[in-house]
Amino acid sequence: MKPEEKNFEKYDQFTLTMIPGAFAKKMRTCLIFQAFRFAVINIKMLVVVSKSH
Amino acid sequence: MARLVIMGGGVSGHTAATFARKWLGKEHEVIVVTPNSQWNWIPSNIWVGVGQMTKQDVVFPLAPVYKKAGIDFKQAKAVSIHPDGNADSDTPYITIESTSADTAGQTEEITYDYLINATGPKLNFGATPGLGEGTTLGEHTVSVCTADHAVHANEELRKIFDKAKAGERQKILVGTGHGMCTCQGAAFEYIFNIEHEANKAGVRDMLDIKWISNESFMGDFGMGGLHMKVGGYVVSSKLFAESLFAERNVPWLIGAHVSKVEAGKAHYEQLDGTIGVEEFDFAMLIPPFAGVGIKAFTKDGSDMTDKIFAPNAFMKVDADYTAKPYAEWKASDWPRTYQNPDYKNMFACGIAFAPPHLISKPMKSVNGTPINPTPPRTGMPAGIIGKAVAHSVCDMIKNGADAKLHEASMAEMGAACVASAGKGLTSGTAAAMTVYPVVPDFETYPGTGRDTDYTFGEIGLAGHWIKHILHHMFIYKAKLKPGWTLIPE
Repeated sequence: MKPEEKNFEKYDQFTLTMIPGAFAKKMRTCLIFQAFRFAVINIKMLVVVSKSH
Repeated sequence: MARLVIMGGGVSGHTAATFARKWLGKEHEVIVVTPNSQWNWIPSNIWVGVGQMTKQDVVFPLAPVYKKAGIDFKQAKAVSIHPDGNADSDTPYITIESTSADTAGQTEEITYDYLINATGPKLNFGATPGLGEGTTLGEHTVSVCTADHAVHANEELRKIFDKAKAGERQKILVGTGHGMCTCQGAAFEYIFNIEHEANKAGVRDMLDIKWISNESFMGDFGMGGLHMKVGGYVVSSKLFAESLFAERNVPWLIGAHVSKVEAGKAHYEQLDGTIGVEEFDFAMLIPPFAGVGIKAFTKDGSDMTDKIFAPNAFMKVDADYTAKPYAEWKASDWPRTYQNPDYKNMFACGIAFAPPHLISKPMKSVNGTPINPTPPRTGMPAGIIGKAVAHSVCDMIKNGADAKLHEASMAEMGAACVASAGKGLTSGTAAAMTVYPVVPDFETYPGTGRDTDYTFGEIGLAGHWIKHILHHMFIYKAKLKPGWTLIPE
């Protein structure tokens, strides 16, 4: 069984949702990818802030 | 000369006071009345609650900041408002009671020309018997609502970790402590930080961690949930939230009103009428919020609290409070100027204003118990509203009482939120979210009620970096350091 599939059998309520696989998890802490996402999220947040004032 | 009195020195009150001081000439007075001697960056209390920050990291003394800015600071709690004055004078005033150590309990009257109510909430632990913050308000549960609460929560959490290390299996329960709570996000962030710290401490396998919430579905957050664009799909926050919990092996109990807490036991009722008991060794349950309980009196001393305040003790403003069914709720029901309808020199901002109704769909259990999250009004909206109100008051002082008021409707305003899962710069993953607008507007955005170009959620380390930056940036801004006005609310 793949690691990401382990939790599905722990509770019934888990079986109806999604659990990230190894690639998705890796990208969450990949410094290069996250540096790019950091810029994107900041721009998006700044747009929301500017639209709210 | 005009005198502006601001009751409350939290995010909204502090923002209103500091901008009013900046915009008003020295001939006008700005007075802040707040029971706390220190300003607290509340979002970082979560990190205090897991021992990753100290209390000193998240608070600073207000007195020197206000002295430097030219704001008169009264460490006291507001007790009553007299908008028409009294038998001897028509000048409106408030009464305050000192909370400073050297003058505790002494009362004083402060006259005003303009009044801003930014008191924030009363943490209504009393609504659920047995609910508390672990020291003076009950020993069964802890809280992270204040820095002191969070310090104590961490002490109790460490005892749980020590027992787990000694081989004793422990049950942790985190969530909301009443059917009408708001601020699910704080509990949401705290449970993931506990889970992260447990992994770091090597005790995760010895802990059963469970979520309990008054939300009718995961990811409601008191905003009726939200839809965001992820991977080319428009996805409900339900799937987003459930995934975070399932990934961390944290089961959930939702649609739950905690009715009573005893030692190691939380009694609850669910929407389907189920009555149950959840056992715990450690529980952090957020209390419901209410207004702080300020009274209002007429000139002859008669009580008119119910004219100025809603039944939940929050101040009435320019919202449409007409009772109507959920299907008829509109974005336009929400206030725009936060001016009291009866007294034009009185405003309320942040948590202190009475919302017209819930944002989430109202729910009752089959036994008739209301179980639904109340609307969030903290953080970014509180700051923006505080600034808009300060702007209105300054214009009224400078240009006359008929000056055009500034508007900041929560139905036209977004909010950014970062929920951390750890504090590391290279480990842990945060959920970074924005929602636009906070109150869904189904006339402007048919379908989801929000603009899905600006409503998004993402999980990753970048969120941690943003959370760190926000922590330092907003404390810098609150201290009024050079360039503070350039930092948005």
